[in-house]
Amino acid sequence: MSERTAAGEIDTDVLVVGAGIAGLQAALDLADQGNRVLLVEREASIGGRMIALSKVFPTMDCSSCITTPKMSSAAHHELVTTFTYTDVGSVEPAGRGFEATIVRRPRYVDEEACIGCRLCEYACPVDVPHEFDGGLGARRAVYIPFGTAIPQKAVVDLPNCILCGKCEKACPTDAIDFLQEPETITVRARAVVLTTGYRPTPTGAKKEYGAGRISNVIGGLDMERLLSPNGPYGRVLRPSDGKVPENIAYVQCAGSRDETLGVPYCSRVCCMYAVKQAMLLSGSLPVADITIYYMDIRAFGKGYEEFFQTARSMGINFVKAKVARIHERPDGDLDLRVELEEDDGRVEDVTHDLVVLSVGLQPGDDVRRFAPVSTDAYGFVRSADPALDATATDVPGLFAAGTALAPKDIVDTVAEASAVAMRVAAYLRETATPAGELVGVAHG
Amino acid sequence: MAPPTRILVLASLLCAYPGIDATGQAHLDYPANTYVLPTPDPVMFPEWFYLYGYEHGIDGILIASCGTDSPYEGSYEQLAARINRVYAQMKERGLDIRRLKLTAICSVCTKAFVKEVGDLAKVVEELGPAADELARQPAVVGGEAS
Amino acid sequence: MDEQGVPRRIGVYVCHCGGNISDVVDVETVTDRAGADEDVVIARHLPFMCSDEGQTTIEKDIAELGLDRVVVAACTPSLHETTFRRTVSRAGLNAYLYQHANIREQVSWAHVHDHAAATEKAARVVQAAIAKAASLHELDMVRVAAVHRALVVGGGVAGLRAALDLARFGMEVVLVERSKVLGGHTLRLGRTYPTEEPGRALVERLAAAVRAEPLVDVRLSTEVTGVSGYVGDFQVTLHSVAPSGNGSAGSDEVEVGAIVLATGFRDYEPAAGEYGFGGPGVVTLAAFQERLYAEEPDGDLAAALGMQGPVRAVAFLHCVGSRQAEGIDGGDGELNTYCSRVCCTASVRAAAETRRRFPDVRVVDVFRDIRTYARDQEDAYRAAGQAGVLFVRLPNDERARVETAAAEDPYPLLVRARDSLTFGAELELPVDVVVLATGMEPGGADALVAATKAPTGADGFLLEVHPKLRPVESATPGILLAGTARGPMDITESTTSASAAAAKVATLLARDQVEMEPFVAKVDPSRCSGNGACVSACPYAGAIGLQELELEDGVVEQRAYVNPVACKGCGACVAVCPNGAIDVQGWEIPQYVAMVDAITADDATPVPVGAGTEAGSS
Repeated sequence: MSERTAAGEIDTDVLVVGAGIAGLQAALDLADQGNRVLLVEREASIGGRMIALSKVFPTMDCSSCITTPKMSSAAHHELVTTFTYTDVGSVEPAGRGFEATIVRRPRYVDEEACIGCRLCEYACPVDVPHEFDGGLGARRAVYIPFGTAIPQKAVVDLPNCILCGKCEKACPTDAIDFLQEPETITVRARAVVLTTGYRPTPTGAKKEYGAGRISNVIGGLDMERLLSPNGPYGRVLRPSDGKVPENIAYVQCAGSRDETLGVPYCSRVCCMYAVKQAMLLSGSLPVADITIYYMDIRAFGKGYEEFFQTARSMGINFVKAKVARIHERPDGDLDLRVELEEDDGRVEDVTHDLVVLSVGLQPGDDVRRFAPVSTDAYGFVRSADPALDATATDVPGLFAAGTALAPKDIVDTVAEASAVAMRVAAYLRETATPAGELVGVAHG
Repeated sequence: MAPPTRILVLASLLCAYPGIDATGQAHLDYPANTYVLPTPDPVMFPEWFYLYGYEHGIDGILIASCGTDSPYEGSYEQLAARINRVYAQMKERGLDIRRLKLTAICSVCTKAFVKEVGDLAKVVEELGPAADELARQPAVVGGEAS
Repeated sequence: MDEQGVPRRIGVYVCHCGGNISDVVDVETVTDRAGADEDVVIARHLPFMCSDEGQTTIEKDIAELGLDRVVVAACTPSLHETTFRRTVSRAGLNAYLYQHANIREQVSWAHVHDHAAATEKAARVVQAAIAKAASLHELDMVRVAAVHRALVVGGGVAGLRAALDLARFGMEVVLVERSKVLGGHTLRLGRTYPTEEPGRALVERLAAAVRAEPLVDVRLSTEVTGVSGYVGDFQVTLHSVAPSGNGSAGSDEVEVGAIVLATGFRDYEPAAGEYGFGGPGVVTLAAFQERLYAEEPDGDLAAALGMQGPVRAVAFLHCVGSRQAEGIDGGDGELNTYCSRVCCTASVRAAAETRRRFPDVRVVDVFRDIRTYARDQEDAYRAAGQAGVLFVRLPNDERARVETAAAEDPYPLLVRARDSLTFGAELELPVDVVVLATGMEPGGADALVAATKAPTGADGFLLEVHPKLRPVESATPGILLAGTARGPMDITESTTSASAAAAKVATLLARDQVEMEPFVAKVDPSRCSGNGACVSACPYAGAIGLQELELEDGVVEQRAYVNPVACKGCGACVAVCPNGAIDVQGWEIPQYVAMVDAITADDATPVPVGAGTEAGSS
């Protein structure tokens, strides 16, 4: 375990910032090699974006089924200490490593005492749109983040709390504590890994697509929740009126390859998640028409092209076109102006009853706020040697992996997370003093 | 009073078992005569184990596998083939084959679990104890369980 | 009871979970019924078993009452099974003599409205846990001695990166390369994405770092001819085909703990006549790039390409040998249905470079989808457009055709393509050179792959255990996959996957022993008849086999044995054994039978454990 050397101080080998799939994999590999890891996560649960996905391409594995074992392994690993609901204030080179300031935000729930029973949640009278479901479902003002969350510990959303005290009365372990204060901890680590992930480009970024004000124009991640067995409605319904959609459109590159949005790069996953969702939708809504409007289908990964061709043969409609604008009709249906880039190149007005914007990926956090690394124009961490050593930044001992470096899919993220673990492990050995403990070094 | 009936669920550790936990977390009701036994993979149970269950007070068995999501290569195909053989043996013993159901339940498939186990419970309620069916059939000599 | 009929000394602990359980389940009844079991020494119920108080109580009882097994009935095992395994372990009990009973998620929370039924179920769930606990065995982690040396096969960027990482981690590495030089395909790449560093310089930088590592034993002109053994201890036969700096011709055996396959890819070789290949002016992208980047900026493209006539127009054709479809693409009948991932970026870069160097040369790029997916690659695509490359987009399922022009035509070659960007216009593009953006094919280390038993996928590339979460591990423990051996990837992706493979080696071999959970199959040789049904049922190479065993009376017979390192613990073998001679440790069929008996036990007349299976006995 990372050791608490004094009140508010922790010594560890590696600080990993962000507990999505990249951070989890990096932490697990480092810990399995014998290194102590402090894994900090901004959200109230570990698991990142992947735990909210429905199924993953191209295997169609249930995402939560393959993510929860990783979450659980990290949470139970002897050498991994996990802090959720924790922000990183600063990371500075110091001595032979780094000194970081982290702040554990108050959950207003004593983590030791909370047994995850949700009695507080049932007692709470306040309903709040649930971020985990893209705001499509609701949660209470005190809540367990989601069913498969780790830790299974409640958190009070103070801005939405009306301080009625019902949760306090309901809690069997007196875990609710409104007097909790932020706890600042100084972390001394020999290396730091940034796995701060991504956030989706906002669905409201484009005026032409309704600027986020049309309720039946949703983002790709929202559709992930609708398609999840534990999603907000338990089935695919359109948000405005709960109607079962019959004619769904996907608009590709809605937030990528678009210089007007400041996101000229390809987000790399949107083609595949749209194809996957279309396949899932054609399974759950067999009579629905599904059309994907695209520029190029970028099915470049292992097994992806075959996956795309399967989708085509299933009758999913792929149309090379640009969607110029989306208008909402009074009945909630949507008029799309579509500029075909095939056939005769005509401009068509078509109607769909649900539109999914295949939103792209932007950096999950502004890492320059706390770490002395350089980033590219879009905020992704820059590699010091992109071809040969992609996970090294320009600061020795400071590494990055996953979508903190650039958009990428799960498999490439997982490989990069293991790669960063290797680079860090080698770095730790190379920088160990003779008297120091050589952690994880082979004999002979 | 009618004798109690009991349902056994053989739940894959990676998929169905957490899915059944999630069902409880969501406070979704399902029949309380359901007993869940976790297993790395239901492919491990030999044919006789199912019959042993029916002979010893189990009236319905739900195999809650990972389906083709199984982490073990080809296990679902092996399992499905085995269950067909169990069906044949059940028929020989006079057991209604609806007492055995092979399903795939994922780790968040709460509603699917409630439906499957509910359907099986209805079948069992309709059929009554397995022992009654077995009693109607002449005894078969020799069993493999020890 | 144990095998001799002596009662066990089990402690049973029922958790209230602060009302979460006890508000629905009558924990006193459950505890009393547990306490009545002859194998139970103590049964208690406490408000929170996971609390310090709960855990201390267990530890104290183990010490004072001499408990030999512990059952806790509480929340789902996924939350606290590990907790209580550690608790009993602290008190000196084998961690696997602990059994968890789930009476929260699967009882009190699921049956909120029927307290009586929930209590009855909880009691039986606990009885079942007691029955299983009584038949638990002490288990130890599976341990295999680890040889602290790794073999890396392939001296391209992936193999070099993996070798360097492992050496820097402090591990001995034997790096085997079939050819006379290190560097692989990268040596031939002109300038590489994304830094524009020449391929040769880039790979030299890496090779120099590897050569500087005393822990790396580089064997050039050497092939792997045999592999035996298992993770932790493989015996590898190496054969030097020609004298090299590090050794002489001949065979040599090395012992390694893990093997990284970085065997790379082969360039797709177009069939004669495929897009005009074999005829004058039709070249592969690899060949074109090599000449293009080698040529001085003010040089002559025709001379660089070794062509007689002038080069005034060049056409790049994408997806040659990739994304092939039945009924559309011919070739040798074996279709490469996959995307080769790197050719789009390489093509648009080469196209742009051609325009920049030779502004008088017209360049047309014929594609189906442009897949410039990685960071900055979209910039390269845009730059090509800005440099004046003309893009032609083929409709789905259509291909370009390359024809030899009539003798009187000013250009020797004619590319015909329909362009969806200009609304299906049928284009005739007269050019001097056609560049075929050929894809990647599996690397041709067939014998080695067979020796390591690493499986390949439908595309011919090495197959990973799980394409999403375990991309660098093969199904054979201790065999890792690095770089393009697993499928098309660029240099960055190759070196990243190589470091990932190295990480798995480091994890396996960092300690003196490879340690794994004990939930693997185990054979009871006294019941095994050696019929081999288990071997046929097992999907994992080397996990189970038959071996000659000398029995007591001197008779030698075949008996099954399990290699616990290769076994995944699925139990496919268990079901097919006619003698009940195999079980998965911790998940044994007799334990399930005991649980079924406990669940169905009639309170008044308990069914004796081990009762026969005569019909109607219940």
